[in-house]
Amino acid sequence: MPSASSLPQVSHLATLEPSSPSRAWLTAAHPTLPLLATCSSDKTVRIYSLTSFTLLSTITGGHKRSIRTCAWKPNLKGESVLATGSFDASVGIWRRYDNDMNPKPKDVLSGLDFDARDKAIASGQMGDEHAEEDEEDDDEWRFAIVLDGHESEVKSVAWSSGGNLLATCSRDKSVWIWEEVGDDDYETIAVMQEHEGDVKCVAWHPEEELLASASYDDDVRLWREDVDDWGCCGVLRGHGSTVWCVGWEGVVPRVLGNVEDGQKDTKERWVKRREASGPRLMSCSDDLSIRVWRRRPKEKVQQSRLSIIRSGTSEEDWVEEGQLPKAHSRPIYAIAWSKSGRVVSTGGDGAVVIYEERWKKAGGNAESKVTEAHEGGMGGAEVIGESKLDGAEPMEEVTNDTGSTSEADGQQGKQAEMEETPDATEWVVIAQIEGAHGVFEVNHVAWAPRRDKNGGSNVEQEELIVTTGDDGTVKVWTLDV
Amino acid sequence: MAEVLNANPTIRNASDLPSRRRQAHAQPSSTTPKGLFSSIVPPSAYLPDPFSPSSSSASDQDDADIEPIDEQEIYDLISPISDPEHPLTLGSLSVVNLPDIFLTPTFPERGSLSPLTTLTVLVTPTITHCSLATVIGLGVRVRLEQALPPRFRVDVRIKEGTHSTAEQVNRQLGDKERVAAALENGTLMGVLRKMLEGCESGAV
Repeated sequence: MPSASSLPQVSHLATLEPSSPSRAWLTAAHPTLPLLATCSSDKTVRIYSLTSFTLLSTITGGHKRSIRTCAWKPNLKGESVLATGSFDASVGIWRRYDNDMNPKPKDVLSGLDFDARDKAIASGQMGDEHAEEDEEDDDEWRFAIVLDGHESEVKSVAWSSGGNLLATCSRDKSVWIWEEVGDDDYETIAVMQEHEGDVKCVAWHPEEELLASASYDDDVRLWREDVDDWGCCGVLRGHGSTVWCVGWEGVVPRVLGNVEDGQKDTKERWVKRREASGPRLMSCSDDLSIRVWRRRPKEKVQQSRLSIIRSGTSEEDWVEEGQLPKAHSRPIYAIAWSKSGRVVSTGGDGAVVIYEERWKKAGGNAESKVTEAHEGGMGGAEVIGESKLDGAEPMEEVTNDTGSTSEADGQQGKQAEMEETPDATEWVVIAQIEGAHGVFEVNHVAWAPRRDKNGGSNVEQEELIVTTGDDGTVKVWTLDV
Repeated sequence: MAEVLNANPTIRNASDLPSRRRQAHAQPSSTTPKGLFSSIVPPSAYLPDPFSPSSSSASDQDDADIEPIDEQEIYDLISPISDPEHPLTLGSLSVVNLPDIFLTPTFPERGSLSPLTTLTVLVTPTITHCSLATVIGLGVRVRLEQALPPRFRVDVRIKEGTHSTAEQVNRQLGDKERVAAALENGTLMGVLRKMLEGCESGAV
């Protein structure tokens, strides 16, 4: 084994027990509590502890077919809410009070001894303070409401960062936005049908009410509310096959490594441009590629000829910034962008690959396996854009509208200058797990804060990787860098 | 199937179908067209997997040496599948053909370190606009996924130039999520179950 301590190591920390007897599709980490929810083809969701790695409860009885997806509602206190999406075309909302079984956030931060707590739970000594106010259903998941509307399998559900909006998508090619208007009362505020194939995944921008969707039609679309109506505000073209998953960068970008003296200026320009663009978007596909997309700051969009034609100002101008190194040999089903800036991907080849974004060295980089990122003009985007233009969507110009075009139009100045910023960063594979679930395919990967040691107090420091496979198991991995 | 799409398909005799049986060893006791391996495939179980330490080939006297699952065995698994609109097998209709079955290591560069094997089956629909091509392809994929160990990555495609919407069909057959959802569709499963009746472990 290489002795260099700089080589990151991925190690298996735990397998959640007991596992699903059949294919598990996805595992979602609770926003504050040390809990994981795993959806399975056995029509249940298993809630596991991130401290003991064991099963806490099982949600059953709500769906008639496989549960494909689930998402925890953020920004709640004293209660957990889980949305589930199933092949039975329905979306379920489940509620449960955060009582004895789920340690409260306060307890997590104060470094409570979870082993002692788990024992107390087992012996029924905990939860007295809640017994009075919540006499019934104290430790039960309640099926609060079913959201009907989709015509076929629901593939993905996602809560907006504020928690007030729920996005769902389906094989029926539509994306729905639901708003919670009262207790267990949800209203459909948008049904968007621009995709031409199954919508595989939806994901909200970490700050804005901007939704990204990935589809069987090879496109990624962006959606936001313009005045009163929700609509498509951008199409990201480039993938050559089904886009399985989209994931957003954190609010704060983290690029690793040192910047050489001569490159300081480049770095500054990069950071400035990133600040103006906001979090980037990443997408993974059946075409075995992972692409990074970046927004061109707004002012420029308003100057372009296209925006004059469209009266709306909500249109987004996004470009493909680059691709991650090719590391998968079968469809890439999931990607996730961590708070630390790292990215993890997985798919049909059973491999889990971890990437890092680094400041680029000046004179080329021998160890780099990075696929070069080029602004606008490179092959894939053009070819696909051309074949799929249907005239109805001016946003399709997004991938073709290069920085140089704007220059030709005389739109110079700060924005154009920022666009000219050379690619200051590169993506590098830093670690890889082959056969993470033995010979089985891996359907999903996510990051979760580590909670099983120091009483869960080092939540900010260490991130775990959580993988979910066709073998029904959920595995937890550490990354030592 | 109210309307038969291809009323006069070309049918091959069972004796013309590829089989290991005729190669060297006479097997007078068996006259079924299911192939040699059907006798050792336990119902609803995986094929004996040479990569699995517990697998036994005791009943497999003709192949004394344990060898990897080969194309003929794959053929034997899928050729008895019935066509959804004819009382005939996919083998006899030449929808599945031995030369159109390919087994390759999923990670050739890793050699024996990785047990993953990619199995590609090219299906030839009886007519170029057969609307049942997806169902046939799905039947083949389901049969193989149920019979083979999970180390196989099964790719079922329409053979190039044999179908007008091959690309669409291939996309559907290659979409894991769609296939999984299809298997929970009662109507479709009824059709598939009927197609797989002739297979040894056809219960799905």
